[in-house]
Amino acid sequence: MNKYLITVIVSLVFFLTACKKETTTSAAPATDIVDQTSTVVVMGNFIAGPFGSASGVSEVRRASNGSLTLVLKNFTVNSGPDLHVYLSKEVQPVNFIDLGLLRSVSGTQVYNINGNPDFTQYRYALIHCQRFNHLFGSAELKK
Amino acid sequence: MPLFQNAVKQIFLLILITFSAVLKAQQKIPVQHRYADFSATSGTSQQSLAASYNFNWRLGKSKKFELGLGIRNTAYFGLKKEFWTAPARLARTSTTPFLIFFAMQKIENWDTLTIQRPFTNSLNISLNFGYNISKKLYAGFNIDAIGFTIGRTTSGILQSNGSTRTESAAKPAAFNLLLTGDHDLGSLNSEFHLNYNLNNHWSIKGIYQFLFVEYRTTTILQTAPDGTMNERFRNKANNGGLGVVYHF
Repeated sequence: MNKYLITVIVSLVFFLTACKKETTTSAAPATDIVDQTSTVVVMGNFIAGPFGSASGVSEVRRASNGSLTLVLKNFTVNSGPDLHVYLSKEVQPVNFIDLGLLRSVSGTQVYNINGNPDFTQYRYALIHCQRFNHLFGSAELKK
Repeated sequence: MPLFQNAVKQIFLLILITFSAVLKAQQKIPVQHRYADFSATSGTSQQSLAASYNFNWRLGKSKKFELGLGIRNTAYFGLKKEFWTAPARLARTSTTPFLIFFAMQKIENWDTLTIQRPFTNSLNISLNFGYNISKKLYAGFNIDAIGFTIGRTTSGILQSNGSTRTESAAKPAAFNLLLTGDHDLGSLNSEFHLNYNLNNHWSIKGIYQFLFVEYRTTTILQTAPDGTMNERFRNKANNGGLGVVYHF
């Protein structure tokens, strides 16, 4: 009987530890290539948020074909769980566009922006821990 | 007169024999079945643990059917789980009780609230149904009927009408009530299970779980296409799992 119980308990532990979806940001510096023919639409410098220490430059660039990208230059942020890159209407994001998981905690990174957001409304680039709703850094975007 | 006395004696004896036979049969298979169980289930980025105490009555001549009540505590936890528009009037084409099971989904009304770290703890009265297939096997179904839920207030992301917004403080719905289908309120656990009896006291069971979990937004609302506002969102978890049962 003990044998059966041990089997069940081991199986339960297996069940409970299985299927965890992990989202991680690389510690290795990113080296994305920036399209130098593109033009800067708005830009700003990162300042630390209440839960992080982001620094560097954030630029929204428009390519010759009209597509938009957000470029992080000389960028660093401390490591955290589930860090995302947002374009947001507020510093503490309520209305935002999620550009995806932050790929690296440092280096030059390029993120595609879908559509044509109004940058008079989406005035901030943010590094935001989505899981805990914690702001790691923000850059106010200006012309 | 002696003839009458004999007849009474014989009837009395017959009743006594019948009564003792019934008693003997009942001793073999008691009418009442009390048990406690512990279950663990898992699905994609979500798990649940449940503990319950149950009181069943064995029905029928051979006492193979069981019907009963239980009290169950279910803890549900997950990571980045999607909850969809919950009210039946928005989620289904028909809200007629029971017929709602067959109603079409109104996906155009569904918005998604991604709860970042859902954790709920529900205490519910449950209904149990089962059948003793053999001495070793028992198949059953149970479902929560009424109770309450406490849990973690957590952030979420509401995708609604093409916009993405942060819900900073989504809370589990506090009151649970089994109605039918999408009319249900709160967090309700149900299990299809097959038990294997190891001995008179212990069983192990395999479980297919269908678990409703409901969260409510507190800072932002969904604006439904009919202009009404909605704060209720539901996750329907399909999980598999195992459990142990102790029979008293």
